[in-house]
Amino acid sequence: MTVQSTTLTRSLARPTFLSGWRALWAVMKREWMIFVRYPSWVIALFIWPIIFPLSYVLTAQALSGRDGSGMAQFQAVTGVQDYIGYIAVGTIIWMWQNVVLWNVGFALRNEQLRGTLESNWLSPTWRFAYLLGSSAPQLLSMLMFLTVSAIEFVLFLGVQFQGSLWLTLLTILVAIPSVYGLGFAFASLVITLKEANAFVFLVRGIVMIFCGITFPVSILPDWMRPVAAWLPQTYIIHAVRSASLSSDGLPAILGDLKALALFGVFWLTVGYLVFNWMERRARRTGAIGQY
Amino acid sequence: MSNFAIEARQLVKKFPARPGTGDKNGTPAPPRKRWSFARKKPKTMFTAVNGVDLQIERGEIFGLLGPNGAGKSTTIRMLCTLLEPTSGTAQVNGFDIVRQANNVRRSLGTVLAGERSIYWKLTGRENLEYFAALYHIPAAAAKKRVEELIERMEIKDRANELVEKYSTGMRQRIAIAKALLARPPIVLLDEPTLGLDPQAARRVRELIAELKREGHTILLTTHYMEEADQLSDRIGIIDTGKVIALDTPEGLKRRIDQQEVIRLELTGWHEEIAGRLKSIAGIEHITTHRQGETDLWEVNLHAQNSRAALPRIVEHISSNGTRLVNMNIVKPSLEDVFIHLTGKALRD
Repeated sequence: MTVQSTTLTRSLARPTFLSGWRALWAVMKREWMIFVRYPSWVIALFIWPIIFPLSYVLTAQALSGRDGSGMAQFQAVTGVQDYIGYIAVGTIIWMWQNVVLWNVGFALRNEQLRGTLESNWLSPTWRFAYLLGSSAPQLLSMLMFLTVSAIEFVLFLGVQFQGSLWLTLLTILVAIPSVYGLGFAFASLVITLKEANAFVFLVRGIVMIFCGITFPVSILPDWMRPVAAWLPQTYIIHAVRSASLSSDGLPAILGDLKALALFGVFWLTVGYLVFNWMERRARRTGAIGQY
Repeated sequence: MSNFAIEARQLVKKFPARPGTGDKNGTPAPPRKRWSFARKKPKTMFTAVNGVDLQIERGEIFGLLGPNGAGKSTTIRMLCTLLEPTSGTAQVNGFDIVRQANNVRRSLGTVLAGERSIYWKLTGRENLEYFAALYHIPAAAAKKRVEELIERMEIKDRANELVEKYSTGMRQRIAIAKALLARPPIVLLDEPTLGLDPQAARRVRELIAELKREGHTILLTTHYMEEADQLSDRIGIIDTGKVIALDTPEGLKRRIDQQEVIRLELTGWHEEIAGRLKSIAGIEHITTHRQGETDLWEVNLHAQNSRAALPRIVEHISSNGTRLVNMNIVKPSLEDVFIHLTGKALRD
């Protein structure tokens, strides 16, 4: 058989720097369109921010007594007058990490279960772009979630944000790499492990206990405090509380921001390395196509 | 540029066998170096593909046939870079599947998992636009190509509906359109008509024939013999991870030219009769197929000299309470070639 003169030898694919960005944008757009086509996100956005902290707020009110006299001790330990704001900020940061673990952590796994992961993997696009692109709309929805939460705290819980909006935003910005880096590492492991619910429960349990979502880290037993110091969420919670609830300004959170920047570099690197390890392993074992 | 669109040499893929699978092809893997003093038991490895050699010429439709677990899908997954071979090499459009994987992906359009390979929460058009971006097709060309394919796949009226509202046949057409977006020189189709109704399957077969005329090289796996026979220029039969025969459909049929197939339709069939029929001189293979939920069975006997064997066949059947409904002696089909070579039917 001879080569026909009409035989195709080259496809229309023309990879350029720009086409790489277009591919990343396409992944973001796809993820966003799918996200808004499941209406349950409305519940998550508007109802969950108020329900979750409420249980801790009511517990605090019960413990402080009818006259609120028990609250003085809490204020002495935390240095914060607004205990509702204190709890609300802690719980919202916990929810952020929790949602990242579920949504970003299971982004590739959900694709795998749908059957679309292989068809994405077949294209010549940089594979980390699928994870990055899936996370971007999630980040956007989380920023919406944080905004809605703050508004609801003011309206329904009477929280008074006396701090700086810009410092709060700066803290969140600096915190993003560490939160999402952990999500990337987690997403890559889930592809290999297939089931990771127990691990999500473990991580969020650790954050809940060690990072002081409703209490100051200083009340933890001696052996627990060094553990808390190695968790970025401890710094995120402390810094967001300082930035949003107090008027102490940048000096009060500078140490936290430096620590978060280091954690960000560390976790993004870990996330990227784990992803590459998973991708190589999947090519050897066929894990991408396995349910 | 090489005459071969796809060229594989001694392609091998081994996976660690899962505990308790009792794999017949299991071979112990070499012990791995570990930072441990504990003695590790070597893993048992399952050989899915065991030295496949393929040379697929440009512009041909190549059918890869094999029973379940024969190694077809693993071979395709290696060629499209989803899997790395354990050993051996392969080139697709002149690019090495390991060292030049991205070039391979740019040269290929692949349909795996059919309707599940696209997003059901996106419309048909959105799916195609998305995958066009992933394949790095320039924006203007992508727009034109998406419209062309929507037209060609006959989904223009419903291109803006969510894929979840489509029929299986329409979803499969979108999956094929996705594979054709970059107008790839080589198209890999893994069971493209599986689960389709006859009309939709016929449309897909027509499309495959059109793609060949347009200059695409096509590697096709299928469970349907007639489909492979009708479409393929050449067919490779794969069994237990090896290509055991490779020829044109006619060439394959000629291999068992001396044989005939005695096709019986009967009721009251049981396995004991099979044992007796096998003992008749000249009978080489027996395959059976039950017609739905009825008691009617189709039994195919591959014989060297059917006329000599017939009296004994009839004798065995009638003495066992089985009722013969129909009997023919036919020339072997591609399916009979497959049975002759592998000892089992394709649907096994």
